[in-house]
Amino acid sequence: MSCAGLRSLTSSSGVHRKDDMMVKMENPYKEPQRGCVLCSVSVDFKNTQLLSQFVSPHTGRIYGRHITGLCGRKQKEVSKAIKKAQSLGFMAVTHKHPQFMKDPNICGIRHLE
Amino acid sequence: MPRYELALILKTMQRPETAATLRRTVETLMERGAVVRNLENLGEKLLPYKMAKHNQSHTRGTYFLLDFYAAPSILNRLLDHLHRDVDVVRSTVLRKDPEVSNSNCCGPKS
Repeated sequence: MSCAGLRSLTSSSGVHRKDDMMVKMENPYKEPQRGCVLCSVSVDFKNTQLLSQFVSPHTGRIYGRHITGLCGRKQKEVSKAIKKAQSLGFMAVTHKHPQFMKDPNICGIRHLE
Repeated sequence: MPRYELALILKTMQRPETAATLRRTVETLMERGAVVRNLENLGEKLLPYKMAKHNQSHTRGTYFLLDFYAAPSILNRLLDHLHRDVDVVRSTVLRKDPEVSNSNCCGPKS
């Protein structure tokens, strides 16, 4: 009995009015896409100072994507450039050049003091 | 012709000898029909690791970067020639591709 009444209420309430419907628009609260640190920087095997920022100071190992925070493309470019520089004799393999130890830390890693 | 880059590491020598080695290298290139575009001197530096070449252990070296246009067929013989040169510690030829633009990388489109 009450179900029949409810059903009749919904059909006559006028849900299909044009001005009440949701307007299709892009999300106005969308945040602008943030890029990685190297988005506008071209990576070259010659600038070992830039490449050394992505390498461990103790062992000289290349940091992974979860540490550097770079996007896929740039991480691959950096990794390839580091390997190229090491093979060509521009950059050290087992350590980081002491001249670059004072550089700002862009990877989010904190070392034990 | 494709564009190549030669990353050359020479033994630490006096200036006239370095000049003679470079002259030899460039002449070899030009003999084989390459067109040298640019020669950069990156300075005499401590090598990142000790390199042993031609029965000698090197700790310091002079870095040079040589841009040239050449046919791909000469590269093998050229590298062979450079490996036999006593004054050259390390020589690598890289292909220089036109730069990929960074515009489709993630981030704000400027």
